[in-house]
Amino acid sequence: MPSLPSNQARAQRMDRFMAFLISGGGLLIIGAVLAMLLFIMKESVPLFVPPQSRSMGTLQAPRSGGAWLDESGKAVVLLSRKEGLKAMRVPEGTSLTLPSLSSDGPPLPWRLATPPGPRGDCLVIGGDDRLSLAQLAWSKPAGENDPARWVLEPHWQGGVKLSSVPDAIFHFRLMEAGGLGGGSSLRVVARTAGGLVWSETALEPSATLAWKPIQLDPSLHASAAAWSSDGQRLFVGTQEGRLLDLDPETGQVQSTAEFGEPIQSLGFALGQSSLLVGGARGKLAAYQRVRVNEVFTLQAFHAFPRLGGPVLGFQASLRDKRFLAWTPSEAVVDHLTTERRMFSAPIEGLGVATLAPRGDLILHANEGTGALRLWSLDAPHPEVSFGLLWGKTHYEGYEKPEYVWQSTGGTDDFEPKFSLVPLVFGTLKGTLYAMLFAFPLAVLGALYTSQFATPRLKHTIKPAIEIMAALPSVVLGFLAGLVMAPLLERMAVEVFIYPFVVLLLALLIAPFWSRLPLPFRNAFGTGREVLWMVPVLLLAVALTNFAGPWIERVAMGGSYRTWLQTAMGVTYDQRNSLVVGFAMGFAVIPIIFTISEDALSSVPKSLTSASLACGASPWQTAWRIVLPTASPGIFSATMVGLGRAIGETMIVLMATGNTPILDWSPFNGMRTLSANIAVEIPEAPLHGTLYRVLFLAAFLLFVLTFILNTVAELVRQRLRRRYESI
Amino acid sequence: MSRLGERFRQGGIFVWFSGTLLAFCLAMILCLVGYIVAKGMGYFWPSPLAQVQTSEGPVLGEITGHEPAHGEETEKLQFRVGNRDVFGQDFRWIPAAGLSTPEYPKEAVLIERLEYGPFIGRVASLSHEGQTVATGTSALQEALKHLPEAERLRHHIQTIEKGQVGDLNRRIEKLRLSRHKLEAKGDVAGLQALDAKTADLQSAYDQLQTSLEQSRAEAKAWTLSLQTADGQIKECPLGSVVRVVPANALGPFGKVRVYLSRLWEFVADDPRESNTEGGIFPAIFGTVMMVLVMSVLVVPLGVITALYLREYARQGWLVRAVRVAVNNLAGVPSIVFGVFGLGFFVYGLGGTIDKLFFADSLPTPTYGTGGILWASLTLALLTVPVVVVATEEALGAVPRSQREASLAMGATKWQTLWKVVLPSATPGILTGLILAIARGAGEVAPLMLTGVVKLAPAMPLDSTFPFLHLDRKFMHLGFHIYDVGFQSPNSEAAKPMVFMASFLLLLVVVVLNLFALNLRRKLRERLGGSTF
Repeated sequence: MPSLPSNQARAQRMDRFMAFLISGGGLLIIGAVLAMLLFIMKESVPLFVPPQSRSMGTLQAPRSGGAWLDESGKAVVLLSRKEGLKAMRVPEGTSLTLPSLSSDGPPLPWRLATPPGPRGDCLVIGGDDRLSLAQLAWSKPAGENDPARWVLEPHWQGGVKLSSVPDAIFHFRLMEAGGLGGGSSLRVVARTAGGLVWSETALEPSATLAWKPIQLDPSLHASAAAWSSDGQRLFVGTQEGRLLDLDPETGQVQSTAEFGEPIQSLGFALGQSSLLVGGARGKLAAYQRVRVNEVFTLQAFHAFPRLGGPVLGFQASLRDKRFLAWTPSEAVVDHLTTERRMFSAPIEGLGVATLAPRGDLILHANEGTGALRLWSLDAPHPEVSFGLLWGKTHYEGYEKPEYVWQSTGGTDDFEPKFSLVPLVFGTLKGTLYAMLFAFPLAVLGALYTSQFATPRLKHTIKPAIEIMAALPSVVLGFLAGLVMAPLLERMAVEVFIYPFVVLLLALLIAPFWSRLPLPFRNAFGTGREVLWMVPVLLLAVALTNFAGPWIERVAMGGSYRTWLQTAMGVTYDQRNSLVVGFAMGFAVIPIIFTISEDALSSVPKSLTSASLACGASPWQTAWRIVLPTASPGIFSATMVGLGRAIGETMIVLMATGNTPILDWSPFNGMRTLSANIAVEIPEAPLHGTLYRVLFLAAFLLFVLTFILNTVAELVRQRLRRRYESI
Repeated sequence: MSRLGERFRQGGIFVWFSGTLLAFCLAMILCLVGYIVAKGMGYFWPSPLAQVQTSEGPVLGEITGHEPAHGEETEKLQFRVGNRDVFGQDFRWIPAAGLSTPEYPKEAVLIERLEYGPFIGRVASLSHEGQTVATGTSALQEALKHLPEAERLRHHIQTIEKGQVGDLNRRIEKLRLSRHKLEAKGDVAGLQALDAKTADLQSAYDQLQTSLEQSRAEAKAWTLSLQTADGQIKECPLGSVVRVVPANALGPFGKVRVYLSRLWEFVADDPRESNTEGGIFPAIFGTVMMVLVMSVLVVPLGVITALYLREYARQGWLVRAVRVAVNNLAGVPSIVFGVFGLGFFVYGLGGTIDKLFFADSLPTPTYGTGGILWASLTLALLTVPVVVVATEEALGAVPRSQREASLAMGATKWQTLWKVVLPSATPGILTGLILAIARGAGEVAPLMLTGVVKLAPAMPLDSTFPFLHLDRKFMHLGFHIYDVGFQSPNSEAAKPMVFMASFLLLLVVVVLNLFALNLRRKLRERLGGSTF
């Protein structure tokens, strides 16, 4: 091959380089744009990853009757009646040296000690028969991660003298200072030889605790008891399988529930209001005390898969609604709200299990051998499941299962509620009202523009509508929220009767119009009906202004809002669906109009000419020939319009109250998926559950609008091919 | 009857009906645009100050609203009474029954202040360092004479506060950061040099502070004593007076002057009183900056994609599918782009950049939080389909004969594209860009997640190195509308500002769109192409 002149060679090199650059760049950009979908999906996938657990081995330790894991999961404190407190580093198993028990601790050996709760509090009856409350806590130098340099500082209170040592302590609750005395007091429920007893005492060495018996029905034998969160009520489980809610002072039973098998143990999930009940044959359920028809009742609101033996105890996580339950042969972690079993592992022999406050570490201490078994549990988003997002869920404090979206609350133990149903409902509701308003206006307007308007008129109408498409939605939203909403509130009746007034007026004027000479009508009327109707519309505004207040006075007794309230049982919110429908319709009209108008004007002339030649009137041609032929185009216009309405954010954000409710009434607001994202994502912690749920919502919006637009595009392409073939 | 039925079947009435619906649409557009224009443009016109006697004493203010009797509610008038520091509210609804006919006292003034919104009342006296200089009408004249001087002083103080003090602060902060590095290295000599530098800066800072204190004291020397309609006296230093409008005494020219000066303030000044007063210059500037950065990003993205799709890719079902997909991106809700921008650009890319290059200032994020770069990138993604579609259309409209002529002359494919096709397609690409800008300028939802703020402390472009700060947060006209209208504690007082901002945004978007549509129409006429 002869060598090319150098500039030609350069040109060819350049050509190859640019071909490579553009192909590469183009593919990269397309790939990047499509990777958006994948990224958004990827961010929401961890919501549905099942919990992962792993055994972390077995440690040998002295025999103990209780264990408490630190927040960090790096150290465990073991309680033993003979030796008091011991601490170990986990999972290594090296023991940590503790300073000798301070003088205010009870003398060894202890007569009785309860297993510590998630915050490290337990009751101890010392060798001197005095009762003390211990609050275990590590004192850590700032930023120190090595448990060897931590100091265990148990805070002992009490040393209360006991009238008699009970056989077992069922439950206790520390009542924070509330009374005139100022100090906090302790309520204890226990079992003595004589039966169920309780007492309340101040935590001072000078105090004496005298047990007060609780009179139960003689046929019932208490096997477990727990105080309600305020300490005012006592829940008692019996061997006969009955759960009682009673007042300890009087022994009066307020409500009972049948559990179905002997009750072995009681406990609470985070928040201390869901009562966990474990049976002697492995049944596991959660109860709550809830007001149904003005009466407090014990309601079984969650049930969990059965266990293989008597449920020995419960331990709640301090982070979410998961809890640990164990039997002699099995330890499980269940989630209260989703009823999902997150963890299950076999164990051997009687013992005490505990869950780290973050819920990520499970420890079982065998009472017989002293062996400690450890498991880790990785479940970042246990509170979300498919059923919870899309189904009714029975939340704590609710009377029955409901669809609720409530992502943040005031307290630490608040449980976020992530039902997407109210948001999807709100989206559909807003879209429906917008389409109800926009569809007829846009399609008939397009039909008129394409078939009847004079060419000159057509050339002014189309740009005007295209400008309408360019109106920023934030401006529409502002007008809707701050101008239209108050206006509609003041003039709702007028707005409602306006279409009828226009109709009436048109009917009144029509006879006069038809009396006018035909040449005049043809010269000035045909194709310019729009212009003639403008003064009619204006006149109708004036008439409505007079008629509205009159109708409101005569037919509605002066105020339409009270009328709505009394006659229809509907409340009127200022920022309601009508306002949204109107404003969003405004955003959707130009889209539907433009695409429909294109489809209608490109209907082949041969079809309309044939129809007119057969003697059909222009309207008959438009309605029977043009509209059906172009209907796929109109369908596709509607799809695109729907897509816009579904995703519209600013208008709904500004023109609705953003309350996630399930109500079709046009007079109240809604919260849509898109507005919800805009409201909540700035506050959502990175990679938290809320963050991921919002990404899921964005994914839904993406997929939904993408499908709608694709369907519209395919329909449009087919229509174009059909027109070409005619 | 049969005639009526016949006419019904012929459907003339339906033609009228559809015409009515169209007329309704057009009327709505007209009303909406007209309303915004009227409300926005009318706001700066000084309205007369009316004084009426009520049972609770005299009320002086602009009449801003009227509510006719409705149901059980009686007729009411809304007065803008100002004096938020005295009355606690800017607006009052007063029942119309039992009101005296309004008077328009000549000596009534509206004084725009730096704080507490406008004062509406009369000027009682003017004093200089405690000495009364003038009273009554002459006090007003005298005050007007000294106003420019006070204004100059205020600007002087502002320049020092924002420019020099801010600059010093930044330098001290920089030294603090490098101090961390030196400490880590254990460089003692370097540390000492650094301490000396810091001390220098500190003393310069102290000097500035003293001169600032002096200027501030000077600014307080002239004091106006103002009297409200019900006789309360309020002292106001001349330095905090922005404008004195003796609304009832002004002639038409005076009013035009006030109008223009207010308009200028609105366009060119910073906002005051949590965005409810003053100007919106930072918002305009932020919008323009963001649109510029977006344009720089979106044109290459869009043009390369379009070139690939139309000129280089093998045409088949895959390219058709990609084309549909890219077109459909235009229909994906903007909030989804915002979510993507937040997750991918801000937390993903930004977080990585911070870890690699700005680890010193962590945990304070530099790029790992919203900023103008991320917002522009997000909007560029959002508007890419617009540019792609327009460019493809323009490329397709270049006649085949031209390409073939070029290729026949021995030009390579790229030479043909660069020298022949792209120049003819430029107006089409430009149309796409303008449409993209119009779309981008009006979007708010994605910006809310990727870097817009209600009040930005510093502009994304200024005189400190490296001049263009792509990591900074910015203000935006559209977000300003949302924020002032819906998040502001005093949204009633801020409403006219929102109308004006809406008007500006509308103007920008509509003008851009009209321009693009015109350009496109001309192109189509010239090239004779058409799309569905």
